[in-house]
Parts: sequence; C-alpha cells; structure tokens
Amino acid sequence: MIREYHRPKTIEEALTLIAEPGVVPLGGGIQLSQPGARPAAVVDLQALGLNKIHKVGNNLEIGAAVTLQALLESEHCPTDLKQALKLEAPLNIRNAATVAGALAACDGRSPFAAAMLALDAQVSLQPGEETAGLGNILPLRQEALAGKLITTVTIPLNAAFAYRQVARTPMDKPILCAAMTLWSSKRTRLVLGGWGASPSLAMDGREPGGYAQAARNAAQESGDQWASAEYRRETAEILSRRCFTRISKELP
Amino acid sequence: MNLNLTINGILHETSAQPGETLMSVLRRYGFHSVKFGDEQGLSGSDTVLLDGRLVNAGVMLAAQAEGHQIATLEALGEHPEQGWKKTGGLHPLQQAFVESGAIQCGYCTPAQILAAKALLDKNPDPTESEVREAIAGVLCRCTGYIKPVKAILQAAAVMRGEIPGGEGPAGGWLELPEEETPTPLTTQGGEPIVQTRVMPNVVVTPENKQWNLVGKPEKKLDAVKLVQGKPAFTADIELRGLLHAKVLKSPHAHARIRKIDASKARALPGVAAVLTWEDLPRVVYSTAGQSDPIPGPLDMFSLDNKVRYAGDRVAFVAAETPEIAEQALGLIEVEYELLEAILDSSQAMKDGAVRIHDEPEYVDFADSDPTRNLAAEIRIDIGNVEKGFAEADRVFEAEYEVPKVQQAHIEPHVCVTYWDEDDRLVVRTSTQVPFHARRMLAPVLGLPVKRIRVIKPRIGGGFGGKQEVQIEDVAAHLTIATKRPVLYECSREEEFIASRSRHPMKIRMKTGVKKDGAITANEMYALSDTGAYGCHALTVTGNTGHKSMALYVGAGEYRQAPNIRFYADIVYTNTPPAGAYRGYGVPQGYWPVERHMEKIAREMGFDPLEFRLKNALRPGEYHPFSTAWNEGREPRPEIIHTVGLEDCVLQGKAAIGWDHKYGCEEWRRSGGGQEGNTRKGIGAALVMQGTAIPYLDMGGASIKMNDDGSFNMLVGATDLGTGSDTVLGQMAAEVLGVPLEDIIAYSSDTDFTPFDKGAYASSTTYISGGAVVRAAEIVKEQIQQRAALMLNQEGEHREIKAEEIRLADRQASAPDGRSVPLSEIALDSLHRQEQEQIMGVASYVSPCSPPPFAAQFAEVTVDMETGQVTVDKLVMAVDSGVIVNPLTASGQIEGGMTQALGYAVCEEMVYDEKGQARERDFGDYHIFRSDEMPELTTIFVETFEPSHPFGVKAVAEIPMDGVAPAVGNAVLDAAGVQIDDNPVTPEKVWRALKQKA
Repeated sequence: MIREYHRPKTIEEALTLIAEPGVVPLGGGIQLSQPGARPAAVVDLQALGLNKIHKVGNNLEIGAAVTLQALLESEHCPTDLKQALKLEAPLNIRNAATVAGALAACDGRSPFAAAMLALDAQVSLQPGEETAGLGNILPLRQEALAGKLITTVTIPLNAAFAYRQVARTPMDKPILCAAMTLWSSKRTRLVLGGWGASPSLAMDGREPGGYAQAARNAAQESGDQWASAEYRRETAEILSRRCFTRISKELP
Repeated sequence: MNLNLTINGILHETSAQPGETLMSVLRRYGFHSVKFGDEQGLSGSDTVLLDGRLVNAGVMLAAQAEGHQIATLEALGEHPEQGWKKTGGLHPLQQAFVESGAIQCGYCTPAQILAAKALLDKNPDPTESEVREAIAGVLCRCTGYIKPVKAILQAAAVMRGEIPGGEGPAGGWLELPEEETPTPLTTQGGEPIVQTRVMPNVVVTPENKQWNLVGKPEKKLDAVKLVQGKPAFTADIELRGLLHAKVLKSPHAHARIRKIDASKARALPGVAAVLTWEDLPRVVYSTAGQSDPIPGPLDMFSLDNKVRYAGDRVAFVAAETPEIAEQALGLIEVEYELLEAILDSSQAMKDGAVRIHDEPEYVDFADSDPTRNLAAEIRIDIGNVEKGFAEADRVFEAEYEVPKVQQAHIEPHVCVTYWDEDDRLVVRTSTQVPFHARRMLAPVLGLPVKRIRVIKPRIGGGFGGKQEVQIEDVAAHLTIATKRPVLYECSREEEFIASRSRHPMKIRMKTGVKKDGAITANEMYALSDTGAYGCHALTVTGNTGHKSMALYVGAGEYRQAPNIRFYADIVYTNTPPAGAYRGYGVPQGYWPVERHMEKIAREMGFDPLEFRLKNALRPGEYHPFSTAWNEGREPRPEIIHTVGLEDCVLQGKAAIGWDHKYGCEEWRRSGGGQEGNTRKGIGAALVMQGTAIPYLDMGGASIKMNDDGSFNMLVGATDLGTGSDTVLGQMAAEVLGVPLEDIIAYSSDTDFTPFDKGAYASSTTYISGGAVVRAAEIVKEQIQQRAALMLNQEGEHREIKAEEIRLADRQASAPDGRSVPLSEIALDSLHRQEQEQIMGVASYVSPCSPPPFAAQFAEVTVDMETGQVTVDKLVMAVDSGVIVNPLTASGQIEGGMTQALGYAVCEEMVYDEKGQARERDFGDYHIFRSDEMPELTTIFVETFEPSHPFGVKAVAEIPMDGVAPAVGNAVLDAAGVQIDDNPVTPEKVWRALKQKA
C-alpha cells in the first residue's frame, strides 16, 4: 500500500527520496496505482522537467517523463516506432504512461520495449550520470534500477527501423514480434518479443544476412501458453525477413 | 493527505490517502460518470480529461492530478429544461449520441464522449479512423462501435456549422453492387459529405407501414440520463456506513478445507465481519436465474467446506474500506487437503475419476448423476437416424471443439444490500433476473420472499452473465451479520476467475447425404463442460442441439420426417462454472454444424448456400425438436410460421458481393498485403435462434394514466442496455396514440413492478411486449369508454359507441370528427365524474417460440506465411420479424456480431495443469477495440410473425451464432485449410497450412 506521495521539484530532491528502501519513482502511475504489490512510497517525476524531447545530432533524447503519446506525436519519431507505440496501449494510457515507466514495467510482450531494445536505446541514470544500454538493464531491472532514477532515454535517428508482429487481431498483444534496426554501417540489431519477462536480443552484428538464423535461435526456447516454440521459431524468421525487406530499402 | 483538486473548473479542497486513485476520490465526491471497469485502465470506463488530455482516473493517483484541470462528463451539458430554469442543454456530442442510437447500456458512454471531446477540441474535422483511434481506449461490449463513431462525426459536423449527412432511407431492397467499392456519398455540388448514417437497411413488411411508432427509430428513453453520466447504476448509490465486501478465493482447483481460522482477520481494525462456512447455514441451491423449479441440479452453498475450482469461495469479509477488506483476506488462515482435480472434460466420467460433488445435500434434476460427475444428460432421437444413415450415399463424420469464453460486460457484477426501515432486506443489484433473485435468495438467507426487495437499476451490460444470482448472497450475508449496508463489486480478475462463462464443448458430427444433396440423417454428440457447478448445465446444452440441429431437417421425403439425433453429456470439472452467455448454447452448436455443412457442400460439389437452403426449415413445418424436448419439461409440438431465410441469403449475398467473389481465384489473390503473401476468402453460415421459452416465460406489465394524459408503464422486464424499455414503450404508445415521450417507463423493482421472468432467452420484445400490448389495450378500452361518456354529454349528436373511438395524436376521436384530448380524459376520470384510475395490468405467456433466422457472411484476409487472419467484413441479413426500432435492433446485431467476432478469432479462457486461469484481465482476454473493427453491415428482412400483435420475433442472441463458422468457412475459402476448433488463431492456421503443404 502506498503510504507516502512526493512530488519533488529538483532531481537532487528526488534522488534523496528514492535512496530510501521501498521508495520508487512514479511515471504515469499506470502500474503503481494498481492493486496488489505496491511500494511504500512513490516519487512523482512530473515536476522535474523530464518531459522534453530533443534532437541532438543523430540522436533523439527522450526525457524519462515524456509520455508515450508525446513521443508518438514527435516529428522525429520513426514511423514504425509510432506503430509499436500504438500497439503498446490505447490513447488514454499513452497519455499518462511515460517512456521510462513503460520500459521499467514492461514484459516480453511489449511492442514498445522490443522496439526500443532494437534501437539500442541508451538509458541515462542518476545518481552518477551513468549510461547503460537498455539491453543491460531489462533483464535485471529490480537491481539495476534500485535507488536510481532514469532521466533520459536516447535512440538513434540515423538508422532504419522496422517493426512487425503477429497477433490474433490487428491491435492485440503480439504472439510474436520482431523489431530490427539497420545502420548505414550495416550494423543490424534484431529483437524478438511476445514471450518471457522482456524482449530478447536476437542479433547485433554487421552481417545482416544472418538475421534468419539469429531469429530462429533466439526463439529456440520461446514456447509458452500462447504459442509453441516451433511456431515462434519459424514465424520469427518470416517477420525478421519482412523487417529487413522494409528497412533495407531505406538505407542508401 | 490534503489535496486541492480542480474539478470541472471548481477548486475542491479534499483529503485522500496517498495511494488513493483519482477515480476513487472523484466518485467519493459524486462524480459518478467516472466508472469502474477494471484495475488496469484497459476498459477505459474510468476516463477523465486532465488538462484536456484523455487519461484513466482508475490508474492514476489522486495526488498526481493536483495542479491540473480535471474534467468529467458532469460539466459537459445537461437536460435542456429544468422547470422554470432553462439551461444550455446537451452538448452537441451528447445530443448526437442520443439521436444516433450510440448508447446501449451507457456504462462506457461518458468515457466515449470525453474521448470524443478531447479529439474534437484538437481536431474539429476528424476522419473516421481518427475517431476510431481516439475512442480505442474505451471498450464497449454492446454497440460494435458503429453508432458511437457516427455520432462523433455527426457532432463534429454540427460543431463546424455544417449540415450533417442525414439518415438513409429505412426501407428498400438492396441491389447487387456493380462495383466492389461503393461510390462515396457526395453533395449535389460533388463535395464529400460527412457519413453519419446509422440506420440499417430494412426490407419492410406491409403491416409495418400502418404504424406511427412501431418500426420507427425512436430515441432510447434512458438516453438523456445516460448521456449525462447520471448516477443510474448499482454502485452509484451513496449510503451512510457503507461497508465494502471482498471474497477470499481458493488457490486450489480441488481441495477440502481442513481448518479455517479467521481470528486475525476479525481482529484487524476496520473489519466489520468475516464469514466462513462455519458461520452460515448450509443451504443447497443453484445460482442459475431460471423459473421454478430450476431445471438443473442444486449443488452449491454460499460457503462450503470444499472448494471445487481455483477461484471458488472460501470466506467473505466486510470492512470500512476495500483496502482493509483486502488486507483481512490475507490474514485468514486456511488449511487445505488437496484433492485430485479434473481439468479435462473427457476425463470426468472415466472410471475411478475423483468425485467433485459428494455432498449429501445434492439435489438431482432429471438425469444428473454426481457419482459419475454428470450434471445432466440429454438423449433426443427424432425419426430413425440409423435408417437415415443407411439410406445415405455419403456419410460425413468430424470432430469439433469450442472454447470457454466470457461475457465481459464492462460493468462487473455489483450489488448493494441494506436493511430498510421495515427490516426488509433491500438488494440493489445489477441483475437480469430480479424476480428470480428474490425467490432464490430467500431460502439461502433464511428470509421469506416478502422480506426481500430487489431493485434493478440501469445495468452496464449483462449478456447472460447477470442471469445468475452470483454475488447477491455475499453482500446479503454480510449485511445480516453486520446490520450495515454492504457493497460488493467484483474486480476484473474475479470476473475472469470466479464468474460464469460460455460452456466449452467437444462435439462430434455425423451427417448422411444423398447424391442430390438431401440430408438423410444428422447426428450431434456434445460433451459439455459445466465446470464446478451445474448452473444452466442442462438448458444451455439442450439449446445447442435444439436450435442448431433443428435448422437442417433434410430434403424430399426426409423433410416430411426428419432424422435427427442429439445426445449430450454435461460433466463437472474443476474449472470455473459455465453458465448463461448470450446465445445460450447455440453458438456452440453452429460452429460444428456450419463448418460441417461447408465441408459436405464442397466435398460433394454443391453450392454451399443452395445446399443449405435445400435442407433448411421452411414455413409451415414443425420445429423438429418441439416434438421431443422442452428444457426438461413436457414437449409441445410447434409449427414455424415465418422463415425469411431465403430472402436473408439473397440480401446478404448482394451486400457482400458474393457472386463475384465466391470461387473467384483472381479475387482471392487481390488482397496483396504488405509483403504480398495474403489471400482473401469469403464464407457464410445460416442460423436460427429462438424467441422465449414457450408455456414458461411470463412477463407482466402495468400501465396507468396520469393527470396530463401521460402514462406510467411499469414492467418487470429488465432492460440491460438493449433498449427494451424503449421498444416496450413504443408498443404502448402505438396502442394509446401518444408520442413515446408520454410513456414513463420503469423497470424493475420487485416491490412495484409486475413479475417478469427477466431478460434472457431473447424474450423481452416478444413476451414482455405481449404483456405491454395487452395492458395498453385494457387502458385504451377504458379511455374509449370515458371519451364516449364525455362526448355523449355534449348534446345533440348521434350516440358514440366506445369501440368507435380512435386514439391518435394524444386525442380520442369520434367518427363525427369530434375529439377529446387525453389530458381532459385523465382529469375527468381522476377528478370530475365517476372517478376511477384508468389503468391496465396484464401478463403474457406464449404457446410458441417463433425462431428468428439469419444469413451471416464474412470476408477475411489470411497471411499465408504466419497464419494470421484479418476479418475484413461482416454482413448479416436477419429475419427477426417486424423490427420495432431499427436503431436499437441494429445496435443489437452490430454489438452481437462484434462479440461473436471475438469468439471467432481471439476470445478463449485457458487453464494450466493446476487449473489456474491464463486470462485475468483485458490485456490477455482481448475484446475488439474500435480501431480494429471490420466493416459491419446489418440488413433486416422483415416477416410478420402472426403470434404477436406487432409481428415481432427475437433479435438479441442470433448475431452470436454465425460469425465464427462464417469466418472459419472464409479461412477455408482463402487458404484451403480446415480449422475445426475456434478461435481461429494464427498458429492453428499456420499448422494447418504446413500440414496441407
């Protein structure tokens, strides 16, 4: 049960608060306001000025408290990332859910998290001004984020990005999704989602042609109540191919 | 903590717990338009505007909203006239929702309107897809979204100062479209106009044309109330000292409670009562809301020393707050002895299977046998099936399976109980069956029926889920224990793990066919899974055969003497109980029947629709099952007088363009798809349903005249959002010659309204409507007599006879041209001479159940690599007799098709090896959103059913029946694969494609 609510006006104040055990940052509140396991105290980030989006060189710096809808409406947001955002949640939830909150609370069926992982999103943390790849944070979120505050999440704008999914209906959660980013250097990053506690990195290398095998390998142990591993393995290859077909046209 | 919240422009200095949600605070302050639908914000009924942005108040802390502008629907508009005070009236959005038939139950309406307002404030000229995206976060289980979307487009046009596109013509035959894509509507100048048409196409009967109100798209009587978000629902009542109930649920699928200790929970401050099985009298009953005697076993207790599914009741708690009640649940110590669990229905009757119901109080009904885990058994033989098979040229056999699915009404089960000043227990509950609830609760609570009053306010959707006396006893026991009012509102998880659902079935079909396409014999065996309790076990499964196996009687000599067999075993398992869900067993039957017919037609080279029509029931023939089965009662043969099936096929084919799509390989390849690997397909299914239960279902109505010539119409019928109050009012107004606004409808309260068996079995328009018409006829006769008395006192005129008086336009008119206003008749009868209350009370029970018929069509696109199926178009042509209100009736069809679409492609409830539910919220149990809907078309092909004064038949349930098999058949058409168990999910299609390759 939440027994304390804080709305600090500075990051320093926020950091002091979240240094205490059982105190966690509050983004939109979508997850933390629900019944069940609740923290002892929450620190609302809305007054910290973390709700800005900046294009810096070839990167997009997204404040931790930027809502999913604000990111979707950003002129710099890649087309397929917009689609992943639409699939992540309907408008009323996108209006409240924050970028950092959605990533911190995601599971393997999150289109947005799969997309951000494929984009190799870099997460800036306080205190300590650390930067870590989203892929390093997601598997051990509890430990990695304990006492820390995400301030920005940065994604590249100089890469082509594609997202594809299979679902029971057009807007349902993915049974399987593939997100792929291709840089002009031919660096190719493929992420699969649709199962487990977080999306899975299937490939990050400079031989794009390897995506098919990488996709199959990553889905090797993906069987659960929603789909068999066999289905996901074969479909992962298909969706990866579709992603690659789409984005390979975008690069010079 | 203290908070300053600006709500609708007014600063409120409030206090709230740090963890309290904004919804909780808003409702505490009387903003009841903000409604609970789920804990995750996925239903969206908790929507408010925060600084003009749409957000979910249920998943936002109240503290987060401080410093922001909060807007709720209460600030938007109001009733245009409030006595001497004139107001600004309704907002154009509210007005458009009222006029367009966009409101059914109205539970999600406030949220939809706020979503629309947020959109129009930013974008005054949105496209339809922008509207659909804007309201996508507000789930609606009633409408199918067409009418809300059109209402928003209409309001936008009004707000822009344009003339909105008007209604299309109500009648007229459709013609075969020459082009695949219809030409967009344009103004005379050629400019595109706003498409706001919400009326269905109706092929009108000649009888319909003589009426003023019947057959007209009247606005719903409760629309103005609901469009303002008024506190009309069960949980909207405010009572001093209200306690909140929670129920401890079993974590195990099957276990005996060895020991239960609630002392710590009882000691928790703020806890008013904890009840376990040791505290309550042991009264066996059934929760199925049905007429007496209940046609099923009595096998449940309010609380028992045994739990039979994961989610079964263990203890009840009442506390000052929901949080304290929740905390108390965690303090109840229970020692379980785990028992073997049966989770697969095919294992239930095997030798040595564990017995789920071993309680000595168990009361059998018909052929139930708890020693074999058999809740009910059905054996129906019509004609000589074996002879029919022997005479067939081909015999087709196949097995099918249908899943457990949820009603998923957005308002959960919710109930408030309290003692009134006369020490009578008041049960205010969201129920489809208030009178059954009163009768059934009495023994469970140890109260006589006369000391219970059940009030049914507005219902936020039911779909059969509230044809169950499922939670009322929980609140009532706690009120008896504490003497205080108690609210029990189910969580969304409770709806999924501890409420009723559609019976899953494993079904085997066997059909004999002659070379000429005549069906010689048709056989179905259904193994139906009723879960842990046998509520509706017999009757739901009986209807599976009774409706779906009755449609195809055969051709030629077999038509005269059909050979049909329907056998079923309905077994207990350790899963949540199944129960009533719109369609009531019939959708389970039509998946196998219509998939099977498609296979036979294709295998034997027949046109699938001609093959079906050749064997289908025709007017003047007996309902084949009426000679053999009647829901466990004595069968009574019944002739079917109206069958509009052939016209439904004709209309449906034209609307979907069947003739240039079916069998056309070029069209199948025309989908293209993003990656060029899709194929299109088209499919159909024919269906029939029933209209009420003959010789059993009874509805009552009373109509009384007021001083101004208006009428109070009191009905026990329970409008659960369908618009039945409106439709019943239209019939009364038609008879009495007044506009609908002169009928003040009220339903239902067991103290005030006449008995009605409740809203189920597609019966209200027909049965309750029959009662209303009879009551109105009685009132009409009294008015005629009074008018004759008054006119004959006017001096030198020929004596007017009462029966010569005609009622129309609020006047009672004589053949000589003289007339008396009804208001004068009312004053004369109440105050001036030979005073009497003009009033009629009547009831109606039907000797027949005239079936509605329909042709359902579906168009799909199949991704041939991944197996993903996208449903592009659904067309349904329906014979529901005369359509009393085309707006509300088409809303029923659109909403029903949308629920059935979920049954076709995404909805199912799955359990793991320990009986734990996979689906617990709207994230996993996906119901269709506004931004992913296929195109929906509704066509009414009217017939005049002679057994009803206005020629009506049922409309509510039939749209549930045909969508899934039509989609399955369309997938076969597109991809050449047979999917025999629904829903048709990507992996099933992918596996079938691999197998085929």
